[in-house]
Amino acid sequence: MKMETLDSAKSTSAGKAKYPRHREKIMKGNFAAAEGARLCRTGFVPAYPITPQTTIVERLAQMAAEGELDATYINMDSEHSVFAAAMGAAVAGERVFTATAGQGLFYAHEVLQAIAHFRLPMVVCNVGRPSIPWNIWSDQSDSLSQRDTGWIQFYGESSQEVLDTIIQAYVITEKLHLPVMVVLDAFYQSHTSENVWIPDQDLVDDFLPPFRHSPMEVDLENPKAFGGLVAPEHYNKLNYSYWKDIQRVETLSESVAKEFAEKFGRSYDNVEAVNIGPQTKLVLVTISSISSTVRGVIKQFPEVGLLKIRLFRPFPKASVRKALAGLPPEAVIACVERNFLGDREGAILQEMKRALYPTDFKLYDFYAGVGGKDVPPATIEKIIYQALHRPEEVNWVDVD
Amino acid sequence: MKPAQDFLIKEEQVYSGALSCRGCGWSLLARHLASILGEDTVYVVPASCFSIITGPYPLNDLKANVVHTVFAAASATATGVRAALDRQGKQDTMVAVLAGDGGTFDIGFQALSGAAARGENILYVCNNNGAYMNTGIQSSTATPYGAVTTTNPGRGYKRTWPKDLMGIIAAHNLPYAATASLAFMEDLRAKIKKARDVHGFRFIMVDGPCPPGHKTDPGQSIEIGRLAVESRLFPLFEVEDRNYTVNYKPEKMIPVAECMKHQGRFRHLFKEGSQELLDEVQAHTDRYWQRLLEMEGVSTEI
Repeated sequence: MKMETLDSAKSTSAGKAKYPRHREKIMKGNFAAAEGARLCRTGFVPAYPITPQTTIVERLAQMAAEGELDATYINMDSEHSVFAAAMGAAVAGERVFTATAGQGLFYAHEVLQAIAHFRLPMVVCNVGRPSIPWNIWSDQSDSLSQRDTGWIQFYGESSQEVLDTIIQAYVITEKLHLPVMVVLDAFYQSHTSENVWIPDQDLVDDFLPPFRHSPMEVDLENPKAFGGLVAPEHYNKLNYSYWKDIQRVETLSESVAKEFAEKFGRSYDNVEAVNIGPQTKLVLVTISSISSTVRGVIKQFPEVGLLKIRLFRPFPKASVRKALAGLPPEAVIACVERNFLGDREGAILQEMKRALYPTDFKLYDFYAGVGGKDVPPATIEKIIYQALHRPEEVNWVDVD
Repeated sequence: MKPAQDFLIKEEQVYSGALSCRGCGWSLLARHLASILGEDTVYVVPASCFSIITGPYPLNDLKANVVHTVFAAASATATGVRAALDRQGKQDTMVAVLAGDGGTFDIGFQALSGAAARGENILYVCNNNGAYMNTGIQSSTATPYGAVTTTNPGRGYKRTWPKDLMGIIAAHNLPYAATASLAFMEDLRAKIKKARDVHGFRFIMVDGPCPPGHKTDPGQSIEIGRLAVESRLFPLFEVEDRNYTVNYKPEKMIPVAECMKHQGRFRHLFKEGSQELLDEVQAHTDRYWQRLLEMEGVSTEI
């Protein structure tokens, strides 16, 4: 998201409403996520607590109990059951929302696969944390390790972006029948208060039409079976149809964001390029809240640009190539990885190489902030210095 | 002309051509169950023989919606289906889980316990054939003591008693839980009807004949099922709000051996020197029966 939103807080305190049909509130990222689900009139919320997601489902429980949200809220027995119940409600034709994190997402893994490949629409928030050794702090290893489950994945930089992306995600999921995961950072976002513009309900209703039942759902008049064993002669056809649809995500996400910008006044892209042009010697590639830190730091470095990835799955190859079109071939690309997936390279570098192949660009990897270690401006400066002067192919920052 | 064996079923709710083995209990159970529940039912089926019997994609043996789901989460999936239907004003539509013993006693147990404790308005039917039959006869915690399976082969026969799932289920404060047998069809049908008309989480465990798994003659499925009840290996009882009723008390004492001797999975128990094991099974069965009768006598009004 463009930086104006953060500045908008000031303009409001001066009494000028930056976004009509909105109200401004200071809220934590998790509450912004719950607010997004409420505005989208989700009808079913299966829930299970896990840090640092818990306050999302707590807030939704409160909304449902107090009648602010007309949803069936059920305390389930595990994340596996949460996702299975979400699957059941989606197959029976309800708009579904839930949230999880880390181990919860890992535990739900097989159901994630089922939801995606049963082609069920839903939006889920994941508040990123790693796995073992035990850790509850900010890290994207959980959701990035689930990138091959068939879910669309967006990573939000700010609470505003999380709320806005949830609204857009429902449009996308109900159009393509592919589930969407909206990821926010643990604590740096989930438990940090920011100014958030909350759109009026009627504005969201104009953008996101009421949930319409589809022929792919339980139909008591025309009974059918869902999810049975698929023999080889049909299996490849189902995968082929999925494969065609997943490739529609990149352009659909763009057009949905464009329509969103027209209605809500805030614009988003699949990727965002900052200061990428003929003068750029280095591009830092980021996801989530580290992007904000980089944004600030590069103001002091005119030769350094930022490529923020918002849509991560499917990886937006065309958008990435377009964003880097003006980058001189001798420029260096450095990926900042707050994830560790057990291989030499982190998830962002793997995807960037895939998107740019074949390329003359030199690509480097910097592991920074895994397990929630703070990535302050000084660390970003360290990465910039090292990337420009003496990079290894893969670097670990601040390990000593 | 209507076949004679259809006298209980007025209108078939299943199509012919189900993919079950000869002598399997699933199809007979599904026919009777579906004839009572009717078309306005959504069945939720986890990985199990029945998932195959009712039809791989794109088949559907049942004249109703069938939602196939992951092994561990039939009750959770049914919870979501129930919630959605309720929101759509379809409170009268039945949601029924059809699961095997592996998907009930073992991998699906947590989700089952969760849904039971929440009092979800679901009818759960477990066809207990005492092993993972769909994957080829592996032991589950429902497998009887002494049985041979592919994971308890030969002299490594199962040496633990099956989990008392009915006791555990009854402890969930359910309005209705019952055991039933295909050999006692009127009792089975009465229980399905009773369960149908109760609101809340209802549980029926049916003794499931499985000729390939039990190593039995497919033509003897019902006869062996009857012997299981008569020998008290599989007692017929109901638990309504913790109140036990034993539905059938055999007048004649039939030894468990009379039922077990027809089943190849117990063949080794009839070899020389195995009498002690057989006595142990008899003693355990007698104790369980005695306990059931005592439970029946205890008022559990709370």
